[in-house]
Amino acid sequence: MRLQSILAATTAAFIAAGTMAVQAQEEPVRIAAIAPLSGPGAFDGQLAVEGMEAMVAIVNENGGVLDGRMLELVTYDDKGSPEEGVSAAKRAIEQDDVDVIVGGWFSSVALTMKEVTRDRILTIMTTSQHPDTTREGHDWLFRLNATSTMMSGAYSQFICDRMDLESIAFITINDDYGRLEVENYEKLLSECGIEVLGNEYYNKDDADFTTALTKLRAANPDAIYVSAINTAQGATIYRQIRQVGYRGTTIASAGNMNPKLVELSGPALEGVYSVSLFAPDSQDPELLAWVAKYEEMFDNEPSFIGSIGAQSIEVLAEAIDAAGTVRDYGELAETIRGNEWDTLLGNVTFDDIGQAEQNIYLIQIQDGKIASVN
Amino acid sequence: MEMELVLLTQQIMNGLVNGMTYVLIATGLTLVFGVLHIINFAHGEFYMLGAFFTFFAAKLLGLDYISAGIVATLGVAVLGILANRFFFWPLRKEHEFTVLLSSLGLALLLTNGGELIFGADPKYVASPFADGIVPLGPVIVTQQRMLIFAVGALVLVLLYLFIQKTRMGKMMRATAQNPEGAALTGVDIRRVYTVTFMVACGLAALAGALVGPTAMIFPTVGTWAVLKGFIVVVLGGLGSIPGALIGGLILGVVEALAGGYISMGFAQAIGFSIIIVVLLWRPNGLFGAARRA
Repeated sequence: MRLQSILAATTAAFIAAGTMAVQAQEEPVRIAAIAPLSGPGAFDGQLAVEGMEAMVAIVNENGGVLDGRMLELVTYDDKGSPEEGVSAAKRAIEQDDVDVIVGGWFSSVALTMKEVTRDRILTIMTTSQHPDTTREGHDWLFRLNATSTMMSGAYSQFICDRMDLESIAFITINDDYGRLEVENYEKLLSECGIEVLGNEYYNKDDADFTTALTKLRAANPDAIYVSAINTAQGATIYRQIRQVGYRGTTIASAGNMNPKLVELSGPALEGVYSVSLFAPDSQDPELLAWVAKYEEMFDNEPSFIGSIGAQSIEVLAEAIDAAGTVRDYGELAETIRGNEWDTLLGNVTFDDIGQAEQNIYLIQIQDGKIASVN
Repeated sequence: MEMELVLLTQQIMNGLVNGMTYVLIATGLTLVFGVLHIINFAHGEFYMLGAFFTFFAAKLLGLDYISAGIVATLGVAVLGILANRFFFWPLRKEHEFTVLLSSLGLALLLTNGGELIFGADPKYVASPFADGIVPLGPVIVTQQRMLIFAVGALVLVLLYLFIQKTRMGKMMRATAQNPEGAALTGVDIRRVYTVTFMVACGLAALAGALVGPTAMIFPTVGTWAVLKGFIVVVLGGLGSIPGALIGGLILGVVEALAGGYISMGFAQAIGFSIIIVVLLWRPNGLFGAARRA
């Protein structure tokens, strides 16, 4: 009796050890998710990581990659600052030995972080819009979002043709992205005869914009173009534009719209235009599956920034399977560049420097919802 | 010319209102230092809690903005009592640096705890006064910003009367001068600690409740608040309440003028330049007395 139970226990232990050994061979593919998880950009970072997690869950439910290896996210906080982004990437590579990195939500972070990952690890940059992220990138670097130059080309065309403005002023974040935005739009909008009456820069931890907005209001432009990359500051600016008594048109910068921003800004965003890679009324089955998974896992509403996070996972998972490897970065990068990928935001291809080509949609806030406009 | 003058007046008004929030934050900071000789890095977190408590009091208890703000202020004042009871009072015999570093720890604990409990998503404290505009001739101020200034001024007058006229205020002043001497004459130091923290945290929370409807709130706003508080306190003199008042208003107006006539991108740099200049020129601040060894 006693002997039997000892035998049984030993057998069980052996079986357990055996399965553990099998599992150990099937190590997960570890993806570093480097995002702003504290500070004013914390919410945007949270949306991004949630978007990635929902897609990781979908990939894993379908059997993972490379015949049964699961995907695993390792998250790092870049606090939206270039220094912290660099140290997070170093930790991911040197201490945690992750397989690939997904990051670069803000341009200033992407621009410094790419130098740490150069020739060391395959890196997917996400919502960063600064052209130099890819133009001065490296062989193993890709970027999903359209560059601000690509966006401003399409957006300024619309502003010139349809919005009937004679003058405009800007309020812009004081970083690499913001400075380039102003440069692009000043040039493009002047070309079609819209007079640029001024620009005010703000810093990433400012909480009050009334002085800058008072100054812009005094210049009396037909429209104020708001370039805000995080939700907290964006909503504050949109509200304060109204609070300083400005009654002209508000224009939201490209690629920075999300449901939370609309909710927090209230009536101040009604009727405001923006452009996005994320068409909110798209019926793409992959998008619907991701939205369903996201809503099952999280309380927030699925957003553009989350969908870009999901797209990074989707491209990586498909490319890893197609290349048959994770760690041969040359091979994996070649595969990503050489194919068209069917993702939740539609088909995407990459050019020689790793820049994605995908659809850009015009959107407008109508009755408190983001809707696409034709 | 006329237009220029309107703009100047408008920017000074903007600056005075922002300055008043700095005053409310800095007054608590300076009070805790002046009376108890504690530099409290966690002070900004009580500002953050004030804003969040107002948000949740309105949302969960269904209170209107003003009641929610009062509930939040009182709630955070009670938290101030607890922070003193379980944190600062037991540490009172430790070295100043130990207390300072512990307060930094408390700040991190409250910020991260806030992120965990409240969530990282920015929130908006709804107020019926937020978008209502009061035109003062050509100059424009929202009702909310009028409220910030009026409540700020009223509270400071009450605080002044409390410290000058009441028995407790006298005990606080005695403790500030010489804690051991005060204890010997029968001042209850423990109660002084409690009341000081209660008032300081309540003031920070009130600032949070007032500013909440003008800007989005998120769990790390406290870092911003304590930074502004310290600039004001260095400018006005550590421990001086009139210093906090004048310092806060000066900082607000200087920032507004710098933002209005140079660039908002420089406004922050100007705050820090003020610190450097003041430390070089008047190390004890504009209103600070030299500390006796």
